Amino acid sequence: MAALLLGLGSAWWVLKKATWMNRAVSVGAWSTSLEAGSARANLYTRAVVAMNGLLALGSQETMYFVARADDTGLPLRASCSYRISGVAPAARWWSITAYADDMFLFDAPNQHYSLNATTAALDAQGRFMLATGQKETPGLFWLPTLGDRGLVLTLRLYNPDITVQKAPASLQVPSITPLGNCA
Amino acid sequence: MTQTLATRRPWLVRIALVLFLAAAVHVMAIWAAPRVIMAVLLQRLPGTSPDTASGAFFPPAVTASSRAVVMPSPDMLYSICLIDVAQGPVHITAHPELRSYWSIALYADNSDNYFVLNDRQAGTRPVDLWVVPHDASPVRKAAPAGATVVVAPSRRGLLLMRVLTGNYTVEKDVLEKARRSLACTAGPV
Repeated sequence: MAALLLGLGSAWWVLKKATWMNRAVSVGAWSTSLEAGSARANLYTRAVVAMNGLLALGSQETMYFVARADDTGLPLRASCSYRISGVAPAARWWSITAYADDMFLFDAPNQHYSLNATTAALDAQGRFMLATGQKETPGLFWLPTLGDRGLVLTLRLYNPDITVQKAPASLQVPSITPLGNCA
Repeated sequence: MTQTLATRRPWLVRIALVLFLAAAVHVMAIWAAPRVIMAVLLQRLPGTSPDTASGAFFPPAVTASSRAVVMPSPDMLYSICLIDVAQGPVHITAHPELRSYWSIALYADNSDNYFVLNDRQAGTRPVDLWVVPHDASPVRKAAPAGATVVVAPSRRGLLLMRVLTGNYTVEKDVLEKARRSLACTAGPV
């Protein structure tokens, strides 16, 4: 019984808490798995992807950058507000989606679940900006994140440029900055 | 008389045995996790009957109530086919006729993505795929003219068609027609 509990408990811990077992590249607050969806994926990567991003595509098709903390390293919270800004990523199409920590969408009253290459308004420098949080931030595209729980942001790049595929760390990732005070 | 480790340090042997068994359980759980998750998904996805003509499922556009698969993309419309090559090949056809992104991806029962085709690769040609079992004879792996044969690494699996929707309300008519062009039917090559 002890062996069973220890074996299952350690497996759960590795899959949910020790995502460093998954071969990944970190860029700022974001990280991406190099082998998501691939038949080359090792035992741990395949299991982590199945639990946190089932039915992923390979990096030639889609790259998934995930952020669970802001630029200062503090865990993202749905109850806090964040400004996310950056240049349009080097890909054919892109989107940023807000998920609750169970990896499902928030019940957004405005039906805004993501900002994407189609809906983003770029400024003269080619930059976009959005805000997450419980309340709308005037002047910014709002992704509602309701409740008091963890927040996970996912940046998807569809048909990313070959340079990003070969060197994910070269991507200019969006910044994630807390807005106001968040206890 | 020489004493064995088991008689001199029985607790040490017990701890070693527990750790060995725990490691074995750990590895088995990690190995099984994606297979169990896929098996559950194949059992319950998408919770409704497939379209009788096409054999495909056309779930509604993604919202907060979409909870069948983690990380649903609100930017995609999905079409789904359950693939089972136990009884023979599965014929997949589609003709989305879109200028925006779409893809057809095949997943094995361990969640590996073993094939993907997107709009750029397909060009203007209709999709014509045959998914065959890995132990199919060379004759059954031979594609009809113009068709592509894909060897499935597992008997059961899933096809997921993604159709990009930047603004579903505006593009609904075109996108629905595109994703409903998918059909998955059983039949000999």
